[in-house]
Amino acid sequence: MNLYAYIFRRLLYIIPVLLGVCLIIFVLFNLVAPDPAYTLLGKHATIKQIADLHHELGMDKSYFLQYVDTVKTAFTFDFGYSWTSKQNIWEMIKAGAGPSLAVTGPLFVFANIIAISLALLVAFYRGKLIDKFVLILSIAGMSIPSLAIVLFGQYVFAYKLGLFEISGYEFGFPNFVPYVILPILIYIVISFGADTRFYRTVILDEAYQDYVRTARSKGLSELKVMFKHVLKNSMIPILTNIIIQIPGLILGLLFAENFFSIPGLGAMTINAINNSDFPVIKAMTIMSAVGFIIFGVITDVLYTVVDPRMKLK
Amino acid sequence: MAGKVLEVKDLVVEFRTDRGTVKAVNGVNFDVFKGKTVGIVGESGSGKSVTALAIMGLIPNPPGRIANGKIFFNGKSLVDMPASEMRKIRGNKIAMIFQEPMTSLNPVFTIGNQIEEVIELHQPHLSRSQRTAKAIDMLRLVGIPSPDKRVNEYPHQLSGGMRQRVMIAIALSCEPDVLIADEPTTALDVTIQAQILELMKKLQKELGMGIILITHDLGVVAETCDTVAVMYCGQIVESADVDTLFNHPAHPYTKGLMDSIPSFDSTSGHKKERLQTIEGMVPSLFDLPNGCNFQDRCSKVTDACRGINGDPVLKPSKGEGHYVACYNPLN
Amino acid sequence: MSTEIKQSKSLLHNALLRIVSEKISLTALIIVGIYFTVAILTSAGFLAGNWGKEIGSSYMAPSSVSYFGTDIFGRSVLLKTVKATETAVVIGIVVSVISIVIGTILGMIAGYFGGFIDEIIVWFYTTFSSIPNIMLLVAIAFILGKGTTTVFLSLGLTSWVGLCRIIRAEVMKHKEREYIHAANAIGATHSRKLWKHILPNISHLLIINFTQTFDSAIKAEVVLSFLGLGVVGRPSWGTMIDDSKLELARGVWWQLASATLAMFLIVLAFNILGDALRDALDPKLKGK
Repeated sequence: MNLYAYIFRRLLYIIPVLLGVCLIIFVLFNLVAPDPAYTLLGKHATIKQIADLHHELGMDKSYFLQYVDTVKTAFTFDFGYSWTSKQNIWEMIKAGAGPSLAVTGPLFVFANIIAISLALLVAFYRGKLIDKFVLILSIAGMSIPSLAIVLFGQYVFAYKLGLFEISGYEFGFPNFVPYVILPILIYIVISFGADTRFYRTVILDEAYQDYVRTARSKGLSELKVMFKHVLKNSMIPILTNIIIQIPGLILGLLFAENFFSIPGLGAMTINAINNSDFPVIKAMTIMSAVGFIIFGVITDVLYTVVDPRMKLK
Repeated sequence: MAGKVLEVKDLVVEFRTDRGTVKAVNGVNFDVFKGKTVGIVGESGSGKSVTALAIMGLIPNPPGRIANGKIFFNGKSLVDMPASEMRKIRGNKIAMIFQEPMTSLNPVFTIGNQIEEVIELHQPHLSRSQRTAKAIDMLRLVGIPSPDKRVNEYPHQLSGGMRQRVMIAIALSCEPDVLIADEPTTALDVTIQAQILELMKKLQKELGMGIILITHDLGVVAETCDTVAVMYCGQIVESADVDTLFNHPAHPYTKGLMDSIPSFDSTSGHKKERLQTIEGMVPSLFDLPNGCNFQDRCSKVTDACRGINGDPVLKPSKGEGHYVACYNPLN
Repeated sequence: MSTEIKQSKSLLHNALLRIVSEKISLTALIIVGIYFTVAILTSAGFLAGNWGKEIGSSYMAPSSVSYFGTDIFGRSVLLKTVKATETAVVIGIVVSVISIVIGTILGMIAGYFGGFIDEIIVWFYTTFSSIPNIMLLVAIAFILGKGTTTVFLSLGLTSWVGLCRIIRAEVMKHKEREYIHAANAIGATHSRKLWKHILPNISHLLIINFTQTFDSAIKAEVVLSFLGLGVVGRPSWGTMIDDSKLELARGVWWQLASATLAMFLIVLAFNILGDALRDALDPKLKGK
């Protein structure tokens, strides 16, 4: 099966997956979820008011039609209106995406660069003291709850030491920069452990392969062996791991946006939860799933392009 | 001595494990001559591969190290050579091919790239096009058809036999004086095996290099080697030229190995007999007996073999160049 | 270079011996043991039974009266932390069991039967994993509302996919192995082959996965508590950490410190154990 057939098949597979995702979301939000009538209308709602509400929300349609509606929104991104703010949800998403990306964008870049560099360093010096030190640091980092690190970071560095803004946000570059530095730093610390360990494992997996022994037996220096042979092979799983992080960027960081008052999509989600704002949560779920699916395909296709073993099968 | 390319003297290689330090190679001596093939035979764990890695300077450290002994290449000592100098010899003057052709090539680089890499490393004066031309020549030399096309292909597009040929091409690109082949045909079909061995013999004639052929297959030894060293538990128990070894084995282990080859030859008298085996199992290197390591499996064991006299040392046996380490040799 | 290793003991037994013999992993094992013991004692009422009692004034700093200080209601932070240990252990175990059961059964069925059944299961877990974990967790918890059952279900339903994939791959490999052909030759049924033959060969994956799921469940509980969707009626480290977000501005740090420390130790211990188990049980893992 050649490359194009594979890509086509892969794209086709999106459909059943998307339908399945909509099914899960539909089951959650339309079947399992409790009737929102009383939350929206209050305890003394009359039967007529409830019926009107049901009609307005499309809940009096058959389950199948409700499911179809869900699928439609996945394609049109027409999520309706927020129950609390009455705003068009898609507009809300567009407004919130910027601030979220202001934090997650740079975080994505720096966190990965740091983790990959450290992993390379540690793979090169494997077994030595620095390897063990970084490993301990990574495992320790992975064991502290992220909320604690956020709280601690904000408390110590912004509040007590006054090095950074405690909270707030200004739109537009470079205005937002002072507000996002601390959250970015904090999350680099939070994700550093897991990221570094993952990349280290990937790189070491390659480092113990037979072809590395062959490279050494040619007389290549250790440096060359690592950076030419091991790295190129490691790049394949590393890149796929990096690419799959991209759709998540737009969701923003729940804790950070809440504590640092950054008006991104994470904060929007938290508000929606506190206010039982169904449509917003549903919209976020659908949108993130669609993003995930698309980037999943991109990753798979990229894999086939980058790995010569996949080119002709 | 004329033509002696490599000399291994009293080589000892240790590995530190969580169960203690173990000697994977314990006092190994042999010489390699130009244009001649030395076979190193033994079961898995006998130390043959470790010997090869020690010569190449590829013993992973940690956990291993060359604890004792010397290795001389054209008179130069390799054991205490600085790493940068050793890298000039590795792949250049002493080259190695390994057992697993399927995984020994880097899957993301082309065949040509991987051959050119070693040429570029040791012959930097050549231009890019000269390197490619040489790579194509090497592929032709090892018998790969349409080498100019193959040069741009990836390893997964080649069969196991072809990949091993590529490995040989890489190893010979810089015209080494010594080629170490660690079980080069074990992972290949029998027919391909024959082809690869033929190829190696032919190239040896053309290039005049010394070959160390490591194998557990006595048939391969009989066909290709000039001299043979039999290893057991990290030591050489017998060494001789190939005819002497096969016709007059002096060590009971060697004889056991020979006898265990099933034979269809009615004249050898093995017509309808059971397959012969060597009783017992190879002892763990952590748990070697006092005295001769083979004592618990030997049909000719005597009291001298156990204990106080220590490990038997290689002593000359009947015939020129025949050595055996045994307290009760067969001749 | 290879040495003979006598395999007279089972792989698991060997692994345990290895773990006990190394100081770090032994310490981790002991820590896990301590936490589980505390949890059992607490649930039986022997420990921290009176965690809800006021023992001093609001927000007392750590002192000889209360080692870890008090919270807003004057309750002992130390006792709360101990009681929360029980919560954490229960959450860890229940969630892991849910996720392992779902993941293993689906993975085994998919890997073993192949064909259409496999396609369905693969489609199922692909859709599940297409929704980013946080979002799915939030969505499920949001729908189910506050409460301990929500915590169990939402965490359990979002952690099974990873194991399912691994199990499926392993079972597919094992299906082709000789011992299954042998079992076939003596007329074993599907069920027998799956449960008696294949399962023991993949059980090490379950154990390793347990340590990982336990950890991620405890950490995720903090997220749920933060969103107001955590456990009700009993202290948990998540709620304690969440409460502390208001306390910090007043300089009250001890609840955060206590909960974080308690959680850190057990998560770290399971992390180390998981690694040690993986090294000991997964024969394919090379070079450490």
